[in-house]
Amino acid sequence: MRWMDLIRALLQRRRAEREIDDELAFHIAMETEANRGRGMSPDAARLAALRSFGGVAQAKALVRDVRTFRIESLWQDLCHAAHTLFAQWRFTVPAVSMLALAIGIATAMFTIIDALVLRPVPFTEPERLAHLWMTGEHGGLTLVQPPVLRAWRNTPGIEAAESALSAMALVEIGDTVATRRIAAVTPGLFTMLGGVRPVRGRLFTATEGRPGEDDRVLISEAAWRTLFNADPQTVGRVMTVDGERLTVVGILPAAFRFPSWDTDLWRPTQLSRQDDEMALAYVRFAAGAPREEVLRRATAMAHAADARTASLRARVSPLVDVPDNYSARALPLLGGAVVLVFFVLCANVCGLLLARLTGRWREFGTRAAIGASRGRLIQQALVESGLLGFAGLTFGVMVAWALVGVARTLLPEPVLLQTLNPMNIDRRALAVTSAAGILATIAAGLLPAWLGTRIDAIDALRVAERGGSETRRARALTRVLLIVEVSLACTLLIGATLLTRSFVNLARADRGLDVSGVTSLWLSLPATAGDAASRPLLAHAVEDDVRQLPGVHQIAWSYGVPPHHGILSFGDWLSDVPASQPVNMMVDRYLVSPEFFSLYRIPIVHGRTFDRSDPKTSVIVSERFAQALWPGRDAVGRTFKFESEGTFHVIGVTREINYPSMDASVDLPEYYQPYAEMGSAPMLSLRCNPRCPDAAVIRRNFAAAHPDISVEDAVPVDARYLAELARPRASAALATTFALIALVAVAGGLFSILSYAVTRRRREFGIRSALGASPQRIRRLVLRDGVVVGAIGLGIGALVAATLARTLATLQYGVTAADPVSCTIVFGVLSLIVLGASSLPARAASVIDPLVLLREE
Amino acid sequence: MPKTEYLQGALDLLVLQTLVLGPNHGWGIQQRIQQVSREALSVSHGSLYPALHRLEAGGFLSSEMTASDNNRRARVYRLTPAGRRRLEAEADDWRAFALAIRRVLQAG
Repeated sequence: MRWMDLIRALLQRRRAEREIDDELAFHIAMETEANRGRGMSPDAARLAALRSFGGVAQAKALVRDVRTFRIESLWQDLCHAAHTLFAQWRFTVPAVSMLALAIGIATAMFTIIDALVLRPVPFTEPERLAHLWMTGEHGGLTLVQPPVLRAWRNTPGIEAAESALSAMALVEIGDTVATRRIAAVTPGLFTMLGGVRPVRGRLFTATEGRPGEDDRVLISEAAWRTLFNADPQTVGRVMTVDGERLTVVGILPAAFRFPSWDTDLWRPTQLSRQDDEMALAYVRFAAGAPREEVLRRATAMAHAADARTASLRARVSPLVDVPDNYSARALPLLGGAVVLVFFVLCANVCGLLLARLTGRWREFGTRAAIGASRGRLIQQALVESGLLGFAGLTFGVMVAWALVGVARTLLPEPVLLQTLNPMNIDRRALAVTSAAGILATIAAGLLPAWLGTRIDAIDALRVAERGGSETRRARALTRVLLIVEVSLACTLLIGATLLTRSFVNLARADRGLDVSGVTSLWLSLPATAGDAASRPLLAHAVEDDVRQLPGVHQIAWSYGVPPHHGILSFGDWLSDVPASQPVNMMVDRYLVSPEFFSLYRIPIVHGRTFDRSDPKTSVIVSERFAQALWPGRDAVGRTFKFESEGTFHVIGVTREINYPSMDASVDLPEYYQPYAEMGSAPMLSLRCNPRCPDAAVIRRNFAAAHPDISVEDAVPVDARYLAELARPRASAALATTFALIALVAVAGGLFSILSYAVTRRRREFGIRSALGASPQRIRRLVLRDGVVVGAIGLGIGALVAATLARTLATLQYGVTAADPVSCTIVFGVLSLIVLGASSLPARAASVIDPLVLLREE
Repeated sequence: MPKTEYLQGALDLLVLQTLVLGPNHGWGIQQRIQQVSREALSVSHGSLYPALHRLEAGGFLSSEMTASDNNRRARVYRLTPAGRRRLEAEADDWRAFALAIRRVLQAG
C-alpha cells in the first residue's frame, strides 16, 4: 500500500504539491490568527507568523523529500541521466552503438543456433514427433506400404501416423512455368504436427485426397507471393501441377516448413490409389509411452500388414537432418566467438563509463560532501547505465532483426536442410536479448558505478583542488579492461585468420579437373517429350542448338556433374583377384558421354576413354577406386562385381577428382559408365572460350528451339565449387567480421581511454615539459602505456588461442595454429592497432604548451 | 548523526502522544506540544512537517485533507493502530531511559 501511495504521489505530483502548499498555508493562517489574538495588528501578526515559520520553501522541500522518497528521486535521476546522455552525445552514440551491436549479434547468433541446434522442429512437443521406417541388416525401407502406415495408426503408444512424400513438380499458372517442391500429404498431417493455421483459406478436410477429392492444393506464402503476386483472390484459383489442374484451397504461413524447408505445395492423398503409391511415415508418439516397447509393437504391426517387411524392424529418425560434422563443430565455436565479441564490446563500454565517471569526480565529491549517501550516488550512476542499456537494447533488437534477415538469405542450403525452424526473432530470442541487455548493462555499468562513487568527500575535494587525476583503482581497472579486450580480440583474430586461411587453401586445393570456362546445366524433359525411340534424335537436335551458342566449343552429356556427386553407390565391391575380400565403400558413379573427360580435362592415366559402341558394363575407374580393389596392380582389363548389379569391365583409369571438403569422408572415389541414352533429367556440360553465355541466354535459346524442355540450372562450374565451399566461407566470413568488430572496439577503447588519460594529466605533462622534458620523451611516456597494455593482452590472447586451437583443428585445412603466416598477420595487425591508437593521444600530450596551461589557470 | 536520531525519536514520540487525544492538524499538534510542555518544548515547522509526513509514510499516521472553518484546507492526522503500538513501545523505551538517567543523576 505504501508503494501505491508512492506511485500515486508520482502520478499526482501536482496535486500532492498543492496539498503541501495548502497545509503549510493553513499553518501560517492559524499562526497569524493566534498572533492577532495576542493583540498584534494584522500585518504584524502575519509577519511574525512567517518569521517564526522560518522559510516556507525550505519546509516544503523537506516535506517533499519525505513524501516522494525513492521513486521521485529515481524519476529525477532518470530525467537528469537522459538529459546528460543527450547532451554528451559524443559519448552516448559510441556507447549505445557498441551495446546495440553486442546485443544484436548475440540475439542473431542465438536465433540461428536455436533454429539449427536447439529447436530445429518448431512444432507442438517436437520430442514426440519422429520419422518411422523399417530397417534391416542390409539397408531398409524408408518408404512403407500404405497398409503399414494404417497399421501404425492403430498401434498402442502411437497417437498419430501420417505420410508426407515430397517431389519436384512443374507448375503452370497462365504463362508462368516454374518448378516447385510439392509434398503429397495425408490430411491429418497438419493436426499431428500441431499449431498449423493457414494464412488464408483452409487446411484439408479429413476426406480430401480420395479419388475425386484430390484436385486440391495448399500453397506456401512464398509461392503465393512469387507465383500469384500475393493476389488476395488466390484461394479458389486453379493452377496446373504436373499437367493436372488443381484448385488452391489455402495458403500456409511462411513459418510452416514441412517436410523440408523449401516445400511450396501440398496436395492431399489417402494413399488409396491403385498405382503403388508409397508412404513416408511421420508419427507422434503418445505422451509417456516407452519408446522401445512402442517400436516393438510397430514392428509386429508392420510384419502383419506387409510380408515384405518380415526381416526388418521399425526404427525412428529425427524429422530433419542432424547437423553434419562441420556445422556441429563450427556452430559452438562461432557461438563462443560471439560471446567473446559480446564481452569485448561490454568491456569497452565499461571503460568508457568509468572514464566518464572519474571525470565527474568533482561533481560526485561535492555531492558526497553536502551529504549525498553512497547509495544515492550509485543509484544515479546505475540509472545512467540502465538508460544506456535500455537504448542499447532497443537498437540491439533492430540490429538483430537486420542480421537475421541477412543470415537467412546467406545461409548455405545444406545448412537450411537441417532445420524446419523459420529462423524468426521470436519470444525465445527476445528473452535472450533482454538477458543479454541486462547482462551487458550490469557488466558495463556496475563496476564503474561502484568504483566511480567510491569517494571520500574530503579527499575528492582536495584532489579536485589540485585539478584531479584518476584514482589508482580506477586506473588499474581501466588497464585490466584494456588487457582483457586486447587478449579477446587477439584470440578472435587468431581464430579468424586460421579459418580464413583454411578457406583459401580449400578453394585453391587441387580438384583434379579444370573447370574454367565450363558451365553445366540440367535439362528437364516432360514425360511427353518423345518416347525412348525419339530420344536420340532429340539429343542430337539439342546438341546442334547448343553448338550455335556463342563461344561453345565442347559439349558432353552426363548424369551427375562435379562437384555435385553422381549416383552414390554404397555397398560391397568384389574384384576379380582370386580369394580377395569384398571392399565395402561408398563410390560416386557418373554416367558420361566420351567427351566428358576431355571437356573437364580429366586425364586418362591408363587405358582408353569410351567410344559410342561401349556397353553399359564397360567402366572407367578413378585411381583411388583402382587402388582400393587392385592395390599395386594395373586395373585396366580387370573386372569387378557390385552387389547384385552384375559384372563390370574396366577399360581405363582416370585421375582422381577431389571434392573440396575439410571432411575427408565426403571425398569419394569415382567410376564412370557410358551415358547410353538421354533420360528425363540429363545434364549438359559446355566448355566455352573464354566463358559460356549467361543462364538467361541459354534459357531463351532453349525456349525458342525446344519449348517443351526446361533448363533447370545453368551455372558455371566454378560457381558450383564456390557454393560447395559456402560453409567454410561463411565460417571464415563470420569469424573475420567478429574479429574486425573486436579490433575496431579495441582501437576505439584504447584511443578514447588514452586520450582521456592525457587530458587528465595535462598539468603533469605541462610541468614535465616546463622542466625540460622533450616532446619525444612525453610522447614515449604515453605510448608506453598503450604498448604495455597491448603486449600483455597479446600474450594472454596467444595463450588462450593456443589452447583453443585444438578445438579449431577439425575446421582447419592445410594450416596449423603455429602457422607462421597466421602468427605474423595477427601480431602485425594487433601491433599496428595498438601503436596507431596510442600515437594520436601521445602526440596530443607532446604538444601541450605549459604557457597556455598556465594562462588557463 | 546519533544526536539527530535521538531528537527525531523524541519528536516522533511527542507527535504520537499528542494524537492519542484525537485527530489534529499540524498547527494544532505544534500548539499542543508547546502548551503541554509549558513552553519548554518548541517544535520548529521545519522538523514537524517532515516528521508528520515520514510517520505517515511509515504507516503510523493516516491523514486526509479537510475543509476547516473559514474555508481553508487543512490536513488532519490521526493515529493508526500501528502508530498506537509504536507509541507504547517508544514510551516504554523513553521511560526506561529517563529512569536510567535519573538514577545516574541521583547516584552522583
